[in-house]
Amino acid sequence: MSENLLQIKNISVTFKTRHGVLKAIDDLSLNVKKGEILGLVGESGAGKSMTGAAVLGLIDPPGRLSSGQIWYKGQRIDQAPETIRGHEISMIFQDPLVSLNPLRRIGDQLVETILTHMPITKAEAVDRARKGLEEVGIDPERINAYPHTFSGGMRQRVVIALALAPEPALIIADEPTTALDVSVQAQILDLLKQLCRERGTSIILVTHDMGVIAETTDRVGVLYAGRLAEIGETRDVLTNPKHPYTKGLVASTPRIDASSFDKTLYQISGSMPKLDAMPNGCAFHPRCEFALDKCRIDRPSIIADRAACWLLDGEETLL
Amino acid sequence: MMNRFLDSDFFHDFLRAPVALISFCVVLILVLSAVFAQFIAPTNPFDPASLELMNGFTPPLEANMFTGEIFLLGTDDQGRDLFSAILYGLRISLFVGLMAVTLAMVLGVMLGLIAGYVGGWLDNLIMRLADIQMTFPSILIAMLIFGIARGLLPPELRYEMAITVLIISIGLSEWVPFARTVRGSTMVEKEKEYVAAARLIGLNRWQIMIRHILPNVLGPVLVIATITFALAIIAEATLSFLGVGAPPTEPSLGTLIRVGQDYLFSGEWWILLFPAVTLLALALAVNLLGDWLRDTLNPRLK
Amino acid sequence: MLIIILRRLGQSILVLFLVALISFLIFRFVGNPVDNLMGQEATLLQRAALEEALGLNDPLYKQYFNFVWRAIHFDFGNSYRGALPVAELIASRLPATLELALTSAIFALVFGVITGIYTAIKRGGFIANLILSTSLIGVSLPTFLIGVLLIWLFAVELRWLPSFGRGEVVTLGWWTTGFLTISGLKSLILPSITLGLYQLTLIMRLTRSEMLEVLRQDYVRFAKALGLSNKQVHFNHALPNTLVPVITIAGLQLGSIVAFAIITESVFQWPGVGLLFINAVYFVDIPVMSAYLLLVGVLFVFINLLVDLLYLAIDPRLRDSQLNGER
Ligand SMILES: Nc1ncnc2c1ncn2[C@@H]1O[C@H](COP(=O)(O)OP(=O)(O)O)[C@@H](O)[C@H]1O
Ligand code: SF4
Ligand SMILES: [Mg+2]
Repeated sequence: MSENLLQIKNISVTFKTRHGVLKAIDDLSLNVKKGEILGLVGESGAGKSMTGAAVLGLIDPPGRLSSGQIWYKGQRIDQAPETIRGHEISMIFQDPLVSLNPLRRIGDQLVETILTHMPITKAEAVDRARKGLEEVGIDPERINAYPHTFSGGMRQRVVIALALAPEPALIIADEPTTALDVSVQAQILDLLKQLCRERGTSIILVTHDMGVIAETTDRVGVLYAGRLAEIGETRDVLTNPKHPYTKGLVASTPRIDASSFDKTLYQISGSMPKLDAMPNGCAFHPRCEFALDKCRIDRPSIIADRAACWLLDGEETLL
Repeated sequence: MMNRFLDSDFFHDFLRAPVALISFCVVLILVLSAVFAQFIAPTNPFDPASLELMNGFTPPLEANMFTGEIFLLGTDDQGRDLFSAILYGLRISLFVGLMAVTLAMVLGVMLGLIAGYVGGWLDNLIMRLADIQMTFPSILIAMLIFGIARGLLPPELRYEMAITVLIISIGLSEWVPFARTVRGSTMVEKEKEYVAAARLIGLNRWQIMIRHILPNVLGPVLVIATITFALAIIAEATLSFLGVGAPPTEPSLGTLIRVGQDYLFSGEWWILLFPAVTLLALALAVNLLGDWLRDTLNPRLK
Repeated sequence: MLIIILRRLGQSILVLFLVALISFLIFRFVGNPVDNLMGQEATLLQRAALEEALGLNDPLYKQYFNFVWRAIHFDFGNSYRGALPVAELIASRLPATLELALTSAIFALVFGVITGIYTAIKRGGFIANLILSTSLIGVSLPTFLIGVLLIWLFAVELRWLPSFGRGEVVTLGWWTTGFLTISGLKSLILPSITLGLYQLTLIMRLTRSEMLEVLRQDYVRFAKALGLSNKQVHFNHALPNTLVPVITIAGLQLGSIVAFAIITESVFQWPGVGLLFINAVYFVDIPVMSAYLLLVGVLFVFINLLVDLLYLAIDPRLRDSQLNGER
């Protein structure tokens, strides 16, 4: 399980605007191992979706990958990302209501995707499409139905079938359940997890829900203002967060065991800085209770393979 | 989010700003030369005494056979100095356009205010009328009104009243965008506190509408007026070109182009070209100006 | 589905009655049917008798329904000029206008959609920008001037194409067509371009902005993420979604094309109903004006209805929503 499937090396994503160049992702590095589920968590605007888009080369102009490299199975892919889309890495978007082409039957969309990647006949592709639908719990007889005839949860199942159809080794799932009814969120996540485990497919699971992270992921990366704040085994990060921001996140997550009456939740004061008003030094320092003088001047990089925080400096031995 | 919008607009503004400036200068020059046509034009093209048939079809930059004066843009079939004719024609085109826009604006703004403020069946009536009118192209409406007006006028007045009829036809065909915009803004404005306050101190409906609501809708109205001005100039030229607009006694640019078309085959190209270029410059400049205004003021126009 | 069609049909009929009312008012009050039939020298008594015979003393609503009744039976009275039945005049000229309008519409749609897609896909490219700025000039150019300039270039200077008329036509029953002869086809070229150019720029801009909008949609990003080629993404996914609104608007423009044909027909002396109408305006031939208005009204309403139905046929969401009551 330790083999690196995907390596993101020091990438930055920038937008040229009239206020100058904004950095939506700033010098971010990540690895995804074979077969693992890596969570990416952070508040809205932290750059989670942008990271996923960067891997697949789907950043919309005026944004662009301005520096860094992305490697997949030992090959550099950031210069020709279209070569790995689908059959190596595919993606699931947040809102299944707008992820499927409304004018085309789900079967057509499945068959088209399969035929694009596999040298098989149309009839074989249709067979595969039916099997794919069955696996995600959809009656294969509905292969000729249009997307609008399915509920949101069912549509996300179709989306999962589509994403798995070209047999990718990695799926980037960008908040796959956020837009769904609470009642079906867990089912969809379980389904995704089960299907990927069976196939040995890795997942980058983007979410802003610490509960989902806890239940689903093997490792987790915490993003803050376009930078990686902390990364590590999910259990370690949740039980022993190192970065003050992660500490806040964990403290503000309701415990399943706590009674709903006596949970006075912790709140981090302030809000994430805007891209055009990024503070010097550590991006978190205006909100950080532990901020040192150094934090206002120098930006910490990931220390001890764990967190970007000066508090860890020289503490490596204590970890 | 907002920043993203501003950024793309800003980029366009920057590209277009010089265009807007040039357009403005072109419009200004054309308007001034029309207003001061008497002083700029070498001759009065409609004074029969100044016409010599022998000068007919003089190409540009050639001399008058009698006085030796140069005809800058040549002459038409009757020996009329084309440069002077264009200046006077421009004056008629601009006058008709301006009056038509004014009519459309006054009518549209009033109906829009009434529809928005009073509401109810009156609103329904006005807006249904607008809907039906909008299904037909306004040039067709203008032609129809022109025909009806001619039918209602006694034949002896048809030439005399032609310009007035033209203005009314075009004006009546263009009121809808004004009414729609003003109605929309009025419905928003009338819910605001200051209108309620004005009502409390005893101002009546019309006072409220004119004094309080009107100033708030002027921005979008100005944009529509500019765009409509371009449309009106084109409509006037089209009608006159088709022979159902300005009479031969008061030729506009459209009339001059109509005349010019007859001489294309015999090689007297200038009679067509110069009025056409003038019209094109005017229409293009006003259009670009309107586009720029719309993008800059950026009111939510339909 | 049936209900919505019936409802649209009802609205259409209402609009038709309104247009007919305006037509009637013009016919009845702008023109004077008695003057038209008798001339100025008739005695008062004769005039009164004719007024009675024509039903001009009936209550107005009755006259209106008579007018509609006759219109349904293609009876619009006689033209003031030449005293021919208006219906016959229009029928003899309708094929010319419809063939011209159809050709221009196809020209505008095909080239408008192609350039629209091109300028959307190649957004910011040199040729795309060139096409866009040229189209801005195209919008400012009055239709008649386009026609005159085309005549100048292709008929006067180059002598490639005829400058007026329909060329040779072939008669098929009551229809005359220019589609079947070389000269007929050659005659169609300049007028069709003149008439279609404005709609072309409109369709191009619409296609472009719709396409750009669609390309931002998640299902397009998803299709890309699934590894479909640019060609597949653009043509299998983006294009159908772009075309739904484009076809709707383009369809609605068909009515405008017929109305704008008035101008083109005048420039090219094209013997269609538009030329008939403009002459009617010039000579104050009220029955022709009134009938033309009605004709265009019917055409517009018919087209609107057709476009609605087409929309239902293309978009599965709409098709089903009428059945299940879900949106
Ligand atoms: N076109 C753009 N111009 C400028 N900034 C943008 C643009 N698109 C996205 N961003 C910025 O990129 C950052 C990252 O966004 P995103 O990855 O969608 O966040 P997340 O998915 O974590 O909520 C945000 O701060 C957003 O404001
Ligand atoms: S680096 Fe400093 S400011 Fe940033 S999180 Fe650590 S202690 Fe807080
Ligand atoms: Mg996101």
